[in-house]
Amino acid sequence: MSKIGVFVCHCGENISATVDCARVAETAGNYDGVAFSVDYKYMCSDPGQNLIKNAIKEQGLTGVVVASCSPRMHEPTFRKACAEAGLNPFMCEMANLREHCSWVHEKGEATTEKAIDLVRILVEKVKYNHSLNEIKVPVTKTALVIGGGIAGIQASLDIANTGHKVILIEKDPSIGGHMSQLSETFPTLDCSQCILTPRMVEVAQHPNITLYTYAELESLEGFIGNFKAKIRRKSKSIDEKLCTGCGLCTTKCPVKKIPSEFNEGLGKRTAIYVPFPQAVPNKPVIDRANCTYYIKGKCKVCEIVCPTGAIRFDQEDQIMEVEIGAIVIATGFTVKQPDFFPEYGYGKFPDVITGLQFERLASASGPTLGEIRRPSDGKIPEKIVFLACAGSRDPAKGIPYCSKICCMYIAKHAMLYQHKVHGGKSYVFYMDIRAGGKQYEEFVRRAIEDDGVNYVRGRVSRIYEKNGKLIVAGVDTLLNAMPVEIDADMVVLATAGVANEGAEELAQKLHVSYDPYKFFAEAHPKLKPVETNTAGIFLAGACQAPRDIPESVAMASGAAVKVAALFSKDELTREPIIAVVNRQAPPVYSSCVGCFLCVSACPYQAIEKEEIKNRNGEVIKSIAKVNPGLCQGCGTCVAFCRTKSIDIQGYTNEQMYTEVMALLNEY
Amino acid sequence: MVDLIKRTKELLETSEVKVVIGYEQGSGNKTRALFVEKPEDADKLIFDSRCVQNLAAYVTKKEIKEKGKMAITATLPVMRSIIQLASEFQVNDSNLLVLGITPESKMIEFKNLVEVEAFVHQFQIEIDDRNKEMLDRLEKMTKAERWKFWIDELTPCFKCYACRAACPMCYCSRCTVDVNQPQWIPVSSDELGNLEWHIMRAIHLTGRCIDCDACYNACPLAIPINLLTKKMLVDAKEHFGGYQPSLKGDHLMSTYKPDDKENFIQ
Repeated sequence: MSKIGVFVCHCGENISATVDCARVAETAGNYDGVAFSVDYKYMCSDPGQNLIKNAIKEQGLTGVVVASCSPRMHEPTFRKACAEAGLNPFMCEMANLREHCSWVHEKGEATTEKAIDLVRILVEKVKYNHSLNEIKVPVTKTALVIGGGIAGIQASLDIANTGHKVILIEKDPSIGGHMSQLSETFPTLDCSQCILTPRMVEVAQHPNITLYTYAELESLEGFIGNFKAKIRRKSKSIDEKLCTGCGLCTTKCPVKKIPSEFNEGLGKRTAIYVPFPQAVPNKPVIDRANCTYYIKGKCKVCEIVCPTGAIRFDQEDQIMEVEIGAIVIATGFTVKQPDFFPEYGYGKFPDVITGLQFERLASASGPTLGEIRRPSDGKIPEKIVFLACAGSRDPAKGIPYCSKICCMYIAKHAMLYQHKVHGGKSYVFYMDIRAGGKQYEEFVRRAIEDDGVNYVRGRVSRIYEKNGKLIVAGVDTLLNAMPVEIDADMVVLATAGVANEGAEELAQKLHVSYDPYKFFAEAHPKLKPVETNTAGIFLAGACQAPRDIPESVAMASGAAVKVAALFSKDELTREPIIAVVNRQAPPVYSSCVGCFLCVSACPYQAIEKEEIKNRNGEVIKSIAKVNPGLCQGCGTCVAFCRTKSIDIQGYTNEQMYTEVMALLNEY
Repeated sequence: MVDLIKRTKELLETSEVKVVIGYEQGSGNKTRALFVEKPEDADKLIFDSRCVQNLAAYVTKKEIKEKGKMAITATLPVMRSIIQLASEFQVNDSNLLVLGITPESKMIEFKNLVEVEAFVHQFQIEIDDRNKEMLDRLEKMTKAERWKFWIDELTPCFKCYACRAACPMCYCSRCTVDVNQPQWIPVSSDELGNLEWHIMRAIHLTGRCIDCDACYNACPLAIPINLLTKKMLVDAKEHFGGYQPSLKGDHLMSTYKPDDKENFIQ
């Protein structure tokens, strides 16, 4: 016979203002199996919890129903209280009298009746509860970081410095990401590479970090603490052990006119190349799509000149399998490219460039060695126009969000221009200046007030060419929407920051969710910004939304701490609210017929085949088996199972049926 | 038919299979399933237009599986059922040989299920005009009229479960109605109990039913329960794309595809 305790909480006045809590407790006290029933002002307070603990001990309760707020709030509190009093925590149920009743209804008889119903269904349910134990899962203490930009670098270093192993993979030949392309950084105007390269070197030298560049994730299976990843190491066509990075091959390669990705197409590179001088690792790769040998079968100049004989034309992609416990996604972002702005002539006029291209022009390591020169004729532009929100905040373009970094980098660009081109004139067309951040507003004011950048509040309708000038036709909304035309020598578009190409596929490989713009989705916009909905997979940097450097770094460190916390224990504990396939005595073994429709229905790949064998090792029956480490307890398989062979522990068919019947039956 | 009898004899004589499932003359003008285990019994095999019973219902039966490898006389609907059963891991090449009967009543022996699948995929599952008309009629009814139609049709059902026994997809060793802890579907044959049973049956067959009408043919009261599965076939097609049983196991209802319309949920 059950001995159930019912504990009705007033939640101050949150519940008692509309529900007659005393009556709920009194009515519940009369139900079969209820041994103790009481109402109290704050059940979550220490005296409230003691009420529960004492009743468990004194009355010998076998089940507890706390009628208070949503289990999302205080379920852990009350489960813990029960456990401390010696009752299995999963014998505790919560009736949500606050969110489901008192907050959404007027004071009245019907509200109290509903509260009574809510308590009754759980009293009936708890009679069918069983003691459950937390699930323990071992943890592989190695992290995989995907993406070697500043976020991935920071996350790798932070994890590695806690003493855990890190595998960092980067799809390009070098780590560094977008930050390595930047000239100076706001709001301090310090050189981007000067602050980044020491970190890149640290990654390469760190004993806990294994770096694979030119590598991508092929597939992922497993679950938190126990992932198995396949990594494709694309062939670099060189033997990295022999290559000394002398660079002779790159100087002799006859194919010299390939637009350099690092220089955003403004410079050229060879077919065998190191993307930039400070690349880590500083060893070349052969770009097979452009290499004469791979196209025509002849050349091999690099092989001839290589002093160590490190060129390997027949090298193949390698697939590596690694076991890891956690993943940090730090795959970054990209900016909107040509053809997206036909009205601004991008792609048609060579002197209309993106912000990222401007970074390369202003960078000392760039194609112009840091001088601001027009891509078309190499002249120094006397008048330059910057356009904020090119694509961003434009629902018509499908990008309603703010790309966040542009206001700041435009101010920086204009400032750099003024510093480098004395007497030059710069204009910024903007919608609003968003300079929220430490020293950010001061930085923008400096551009306007000290460096004389002309800020025009308004949008540009189109750019066209006239007499060798780029005519920027816009409007000044602060001057009563007066049309403005500027005959510029060069135009820089702050094109929208968007998710990387392939972000969607990666999300599907990793089973993490993503937003409508293909940015990876965080688990909670405020309280879980670096977690994904998939346990053990975390986010850092601009793969989640446009982010500036300080934010990316902070996120990376946040994600690293989450990984370190996960690795701080040898075993993970998980709630046992998972699906279980029934097992019965022979000759039935299980009512499962092995149709495995649940396998395809499971969104977490948590169901596998189990073969039941006799003593001779012959398979008698194949049935479904739920992996307790992977199962998230969603219940999709339960709904799919025609034989009703699967139950969610804590929410069994029997418990659900009992709840429904408790509501339907008259009392 | 000569081919079928000859091949059956060969298969049994060489012990390539232990049992051949086919049709024989039954009582009256009816045909019934025949399980040939001895070569001399092969002469009882018949095949004509009366042979509409879906023999695939037998391939999952324990008593027949125990005999060893089976061969089955399979018309198009039977072959479809077999492909669906194979995708649900109930049969495979090692325990089943398919002696197909083409719509032109010719016998073709398939080497394996992949060949059967290729043959089956030449034909789309089409609902015949008479049933289409019935579905249209149901669709045009008001909710109240439709409710009355089904209550009237289903109330006489006395739950003999002949529909379940005749259906090749109803191979579960424990049907939902047999679960009594808890008893979600009431066992009594009353208005509610009957309705729940038939709705449950239609739902469980959605995306799996190959529209062979075996359930309707088996019903002693000739209740048009196949209209329910046909309607589900039409709806599933509309919401989740076409249905064709396939060995790939991309089950219509349990597999998410990015191009699923899911317009029922909006």
